[in-house]
Amino acid sequence: MMRRKLISTYISRALAISLLLLPMSAMAQRPKLLVQTKDTIPMFRGLAVSADLVGPAQLLFGDYGQYEAALRVNLKDKYFPIIELGYGKANANDISTRLTYKTNAPYGRIGVDFNLMKNKHDIYRLYGGVRYAYTNFKYDVFSPGLTDPVWHDHVEYSAKDVSCNYHWLEFVFGVDAKIWGPVRLGWSARYKRRLLHDEGPLGNAWYVPGFGKTGGSRLGGTFNVIFEL
Amino acid sequence: MCICLLAACSTIDCPLNNGVFTAYKLTGTVTTLADTLTISTDISDGNDSVLINRDVNVDSFLLPVSYQRNEDTYFFKIYNKTSSTTDTVRVEKDNKPHFESIDCNPSIFHTILGVKYTHNRIDSIVINNANVNYDATKAHFHIYFKSASN
Repeated sequence: MMRRKLISTYISRALAISLLLLPMSAMAQRPKLLVQTKDTIPMFRGLAVSADLVGPAQLLFGDYGQYEAALRVNLKDKYFPIIELGYGKANANDISTRLTYKTNAPYGRIGVDFNLMKNKHDIYRLYGGVRYAYTNFKYDVFSPGLTDPVWHDHVEYSAKDVSCNYHWLEFVFGVDAKIWGPVRLGWSARYKRRLLHDEGPLGNAWYVPGFGKTGGSRLGGTFNVIFEL
Repeated sequence: MCICLLAACSTIDCPLNNGVFTAYKLTGTVTTLADTLTISTDISDGNDSVLINRDVNVDSFLLPVSYQRNEDTYFFKIYNKTSSTTDTVRVEKDNKPHFESIDCNPSIFHTILGVKYTHNRIDSIVINNANVNYDATKAHFHIYFKSASN
C-alpha cells in the first residue's frame, strides 16, 4: 500500500513537471522570427552638384552642344530629386546645301532618380529615373539664296528669330561611384520623348537646346563629375 | 566613349520626294488624252520653257511652280494630225519658305489661291488640293478636257 502511494505520487509529480515544461519546449522549437533592425539613416543625406562633360566635348568637336549643371538632393540614399539647368548652342553650316543654322538658349529639366542597388548605402549607385524638360528658343537660318531652275529667278532665303518651344520627357539609366572624398564620377544614358512642340512657321528646328538634333536619334548621354556637399 | 558615340549618332532625314510640283488629274469625259500634249511656260527672259514635251495618252501630269512669282502661266498645246489648239492656264499662288534641316536643300511651299484658263480644249479646272508641298500624291487640280469632237 505504501509503495502504491509512493508510485502514484511520483507519477503525479512527473506529470506536473512535464506540463510546466511543455510551453517552454514548444517555444524552443518555434522558428526564430527575423527582427528587422530599424534604418537609422536620416532622411536628408545631403546635396550634390554636378557638371556634364559630354556637352562641352560636343561643342569642341562639333557644331552644337551644351553646358549643363545639376543640383541633386539625397533622400535616404534611395531617392534623388534633381534639377538640371543648361545652355545649348548651335552654329552649323552645310557646304552642300549652303545653309547656316544658329541658335542658343537655356533649358531646364526637373525629375527624380531612384537607387536601384540592393544595398542603398553602398558607394556605388545604379539609377533609374525620369525628367521633364522644357526650353524656349529662337533660331536663325541663312542661305545665299536660291535660283529657280525653271524660271531662273533669284530668291532670297533666310529667317531670323524664329520662335519655338519644346516640352519633352527623358528616361534615365545611370551609374555613379565614389572616387575620393566628396568626388564622384558617373554616366547616364537617356531616352528622349517629345511631348509638345512649336517650331515656328518655317518648318522644323534642326537643333533644340537640351534636346539635341530633332531628326536624329532619341538617345543621349551624359558623363558627370559630381561633388557631394 | 560609348556615351559620346551614342550621343553623336544621327541620321539625315531628308524626304526622299523633295521636289515641289502641282499634280493635275484628268477627270470627266476625257480621262485619258489621246492627242499629243505639250506644256510650256513663260520664263523671265521672254522665252518659253517646255515642261512636258509631246506626251501621249496622258491621264495625269506634274508641273513645277515658280519659287517667288504670284502667278504662273502655262501654255497647253494639244494637237493631232489635223488640228492644233492652245489653252493658257494661269495659277495664282502664295509662296512660303520651308526649312527641313541644314542637310536638306531649302524649298518653297505654296498655297493655290485661284486658277484662270481659256476654253479652247479645256472645259474646266477645279482646285482639289490647295496645299503644294513635297506630297503630290493627292491631285491639286482636276482638269476637264473637251472631247476632240467638240
